[in-house]
Amino acid sequence: MKKSEWSDKQLEELLRQMPQIHDDRNPRDIYQNLSIKKRKRPAWLIPGFAAAAALLLFFLLVPKMLNGTQNSFDSAKQEESSSEAEMSKSDDHSSLLMKKEDSISGSEPEMRITEMNKNSLYDDEVGDGTVITYWIPDSQAQNLVPISIVITPDNNKNWLTNFTESMELLNEEEWGLSDYYPVNAKFELDDTKNTVIVDVPKNHQYGQGSTAEINFITTLKNNIASNSNVNKIMLKTDGQPGIELGNYGVLEEIEVKPEGKHAYFFYKPDGMDTTYLVPSIDTYQDISAAFEAMKTDHQELGLTASLVPSFPIKGVTTKENKLIITLEENAEMENNLETVYSYEAILLTAKDFGIDTITILNAPIQLLGPFDLTQEMKVPLAPNHRQIH
Amino acid sequence: MDSVFDELYQKYHHDVFQFLFYMVRNKEQAEDLVQEVYIRVFKSYHRFEGKSSEKTWLFSIARNVAIDSFRKQKGWKGRLLEKLDWSSSQVKDEYPIPEEIMVHKEEVKWIYQCLEHCTVDQRSVVILRFLNDLSITETAETLGWTESKVKTTQHRALKVLKKYMEMFNEKEGSESEKVRVER
Repeated sequence: MKKSEWSDKQLEELLRQMPQIHDDRNPRDIYQNLSIKKRKRPAWLIPGFAAAAALLLFFLLVPKMLNGTQNSFDSAKQEESSSEAEMSKSDDHSSLLMKKEDSISGSEPEMRITEMNKNSLYDDEVGDGTVITYWIPDSQAQNLVPISIVITPDNNKNWLTNFTESMELLNEEEWGLSDYYPVNAKFELDDTKNTVIVDVPKNHQYGQGSTAEINFITTLKNNIASNSNVNKIMLKTDGQPGIELGNYGVLEEIEVKPEGKHAYFFYKPDGMDTTYLVPSIDTYQDISAAFEAMKTDHQELGLTASLVPSFPIKGVTTKENKLIITLEENAEMENNLETVYSYEAILLTAKDFGIDTITILNAPIQLLGPFDLTQEMKVPLAPNHRQIH
Repeated sequence: MDSVFDELYQKYHHDVFQFLFYMVRNKEQAEDLVQEVYIRVFKSYHRFEGKSSEKTWLFSIARNVAIDSFRKQKGWKGRLLEKLDWSSSQVKDEYPIPEEIMVHKEEVKWIYQCLEHCTVDQRSVVILRFLNDLSITETAETLGWTESKVKTTQHRALKVLKKYMEMFNEKEGSESEKVRVER
């Protein structure tokens, strides 16, 4: 049976017949739920605030944590990273030069040839800058490590002012040495007497223990010998002449005379890859004796042999201020950092014996790191070059 | 208990609930929405100026609540919840006819199902006019429309209902024929 069209009336009637739907809940419950819902707003706000605060903390802490790990990484790999930084900074001139030499000789390319692959400072690297060498005690206060930096000098000031002002720039601890500078004293230059006057305050720490005293006197002597021609140091305490040191008694002045005749050894600070070249405390009669000594370690001072077997010296001859080193024939020389440092130890030792240039005979390889062994080589300006920030 | 709530509940709760139920076709949701209506009423009760009648004011709020709930369902949140919540989506997909309607005669069930095919506006008008027994004027006031718009919307709604009712009719006819043939 098919019912035909639905009329509007019928539809309306049907709609009206639709059942009444009742809310079975108690009005009391509804009202109670209402107040719960009303309160719900702040309840929603609190976790919101907590989340915002947590996010804030997160963003504050994370960069710190990242930095922290980076720092420890940095110090562990200090040498490497700084050499890397150097590499990118290294001036085009020298890297270009080295590339050229490299292509001529075709020598081992495995060693990265950069400025930092050598230890010392040479003539052509300083430019307009001034080299200052500071003698810094190592972490055990056993050796004094000469560290050289290049500064842009203020020409209105004398060398001593430049020297004292640049003390601030030293990062001894970063370099694996002990924190020593700036020295707690006033420095004054007396040009007429060619004298430096050092005035320490009354409560100075330099008389506490023999090591502190010796280091104080020796660093003063060495610093002044390395950086000037001054030959006398006057010591004062709070303006009064003399300084009270347990082992020396009252000391009023120190003679400064270039000692020379030291041999350079390797010094490696604990836990670092850095190698410093450090002069011996002993002096040697002639350069051959010094070279001979450099073949053995000085364990009591933490110094290691600087003449590695890969640098086999057969004989040395001196002519005026020129040194000629003959190497063993058919020797095998490795082109690595250690050999480079050996070569520089030889150069620095030679300099200490008053040599100006060195020539190597029988060199088994032409290029040793950044050095061309076939050329006559000038001795370095200063040892252990470090960058300052 | 709040005297305002008490009064509103006594006077309009049933009508508002009825309206919401037929709008959203789900008793639980209607219960939630009626709650929301009260919240909105209390929030703006002080702003109620008595320009319109209390009744139409309440219905217009209820309608807005229903429309908002549709929007929410269509929004990303609703879709996401639907996807995550299997049980609710299954229930919804089937659109079960509520018990209260099941017990009535066939035609009532049909018209309930046909209502689904109306637009929200059409459904509002139909429910307000025939289930809540509002006059054309009251409906126009509730929806904020002119009376003529209410009339045309009502007309169109009935047309849609008619069309789908015919379809139920035909289905029913063919089914009863089948039964006859088998016999």
